[in-house]
Amino acid sequence: MSPPDFFIGWDRNSGRAQFRFLALVAAGFLALLAGIGLLDGQDAAPRGLFHLAPPPPPDAPIDAVTLRGRVALHPYPTLFVQPDATHPSLHSVLLSGDGKRGPSIDPALADGAMVSVTGLKLRRGTIDMLVVGEEVHPLPDPPIAAPAPVSLGRWRVAGEICDGKCQTGAMQPGQGLSHRACASLCLIGGVPPVFVTASPVAGASFLLLAGPDGRALADLRRLAALPVVLEGEIERRGDLLVFKVDLTQARVL
Amino acid sequence: MSVKYVPVSWTTSKKLYDAGLIAGIALYLLAFSHFAIGAVDDQALRIRALGSCAFLLLSLVLAIGPLARLDRRFLPLLYNRRHFGVITCTIAAGHALAVLGWYFAFSPLGPYDAMLVADIGSGHLRGVPFIPFGIAALLILLVLAVTSHDFWLSFLTPKLWKALHLGVYAAYGLVVLHVAFGALQAQRAFEIEVTVCALGLVALHLWTGFREGRKPRMAAAAPSGLVHACKLGDIAEGRAIVVRLTDADPVAIFRHEGRLSAVSHLCAHQNGPLGEGRVIDGCITCPWHGFQYRLEDGRAPPPFTERIATYRLHLTGDDVMLDPSPNPPGTYVQPLEPA
Ligand code: FES
Repeated sequence: MSPPDFFIGWDRNSGRAQFRFLALVAAGFLALLAGIGLLDGQDAAPRGLFHLAPPPPPDAPIDAVTLRGRVALHPYPTLFVQPDATHPSLHSVLLSGDGKRGPSIDPALADGAMVSVTGLKLRRGTIDMLVVGEEVHPLPDPPIAAPAPVSLGRWRVAGEICDGKCQTGAMQPGQGLSHRACASLCLIGGVPPVFVTASPVAGASFLLLAGPDGRALADLRRLAALPVVLEGEIERRGDLLVFKVDLTQARVL
Repeated sequence: MSVKYVPVSWTTSKKLYDAGLIAGIALYLLAFSHFAIGAVDDQALRIRALGSCAFLLLSLVLAIGPLARLDRRFLPLLYNRRHFGVITCTIAAGHALAVLGWYFAFSPLGPYDAMLVADIGSGHLRGVPFIPFGIAALLILLVLAVTSHDFWLSFLTPKLWKALHLGVYAAYGLVVLHVAFGALQAQRAFEIEVTVCALGLVALHLWTGFREGRKPRMAAAAPSGLVHACKLGDIAEGRAIVVRLTDADPVAIFRHEGRLSAVSHLCAHQNGPLGEGRVIDGCITCPWHGFQYRLEDGRAPPPFTERIATYRLHLTGDDVMLDPSPNPPGTYVQPLEPA
């Protein structure tokens, strides 16, 4: 049998003083874990360097919808639908596929063709995205005129490069460094890149990114999900702002 | 102490220990998820809760060693520390699986390929890929968890096993880098926890090391080759004093029923400090996990088979003199009986 002040794991008699001490340690341990758990959970959706607005839950329940409109293949597949009561100008809807993929587009589909697409509509702030599960095919509809690009001049803007899908609500939060690998995979897979600005630009906090030539950008993995400053021309197309950036000028903050 | 290997030789203390641990983890995860603030998916919440919980547990498990050195009342926490380690590794693995099943899923690439290609550096300090640090830390923790069983301890020998398990400090360093380049870039609340835990651990280890380092070391005197260990009256009945030698392993000199016996201070199990143990039921009993050895030959009582080195003692008047050359483990030495 062990002396009262000597603990032996296989002996049940370890003394009252030791028992009281261990009971105190156990209570402290439980209180510590509960307290720190509570503290850590207060920052469950990190806001990062820019304190970007914490992404709210999707504006509406995610329902399947069918949209008809004019498809623009560049810089990234986007559907432009006719103005309606909620959207007074040509309304843009970014397109993506299932999972971390861009939309599957029929190779015969011409830029500017009329299409009908069915998918799940994600919406956050000023930006809409349709997650299209099927291949996008042309329609014989009469074409809608292409949105006339309006240049808003050259800008230097601070913000974060996100994938348009998680940013529009597929994941919460769909931004920040811990989401970096996920954003990179979405971008590799062809999901349109969205620049979430630190403060609004011409009334918008989400800009579709493009290269200086207005085409898709090459590999964005190096800069994704980091606080960066990008420089380039901003162009309005319908209700969409396109930020034509030269990535060689990009600066990580 | 067991004669054959069983997955776990359960005792009441181990059951209570594990129950307390699991209750603490459950409380943490519940407090984190239930009162979480911010729009966040259940999956992302799970990733964060498990990751931050694993960090906290790893910090706590590393604090047990120095705490037990500073205050022996913490020794019972050390008794079942391996279960603490294995549970910590399980939570860390849960975090990794949750990441694989969320951030690395749904991609045209498989989750493991995705993990390799997705996170490339930015060329700046911000954006250093933090995931590889986490993977390396988890691999170390998995190796330690798998080899934590006594089978591996005896297969690898306590010395090698102990060296391998010091790898937990490398894992902790990697985890600190993982969170420093990851979560800490964005999460303020977690920053306090990481700073307090990491700095607290360093301070605790430095303080313990400083106290241990101040304990005097003894050298053999020429020409006898003997070390003056202590005075006869220095050793309390049923206890030992520890003689730290300048260039050899420390030795514990026990007194039992008035007679003196010297054995290795390092337990054959996990190198625990035998000299801080007691004589119980006529056997030296290790303060870490309760392994026992006979005073006269350093052998565990049958049916157990562990052995430790014994040493020869001489008495010169009131002075206890130690011959610092160890006898082969298990060698019989007649206990020294003062006149
Ligand atoms: S180290 Fe485990 S019993 Fe001694």
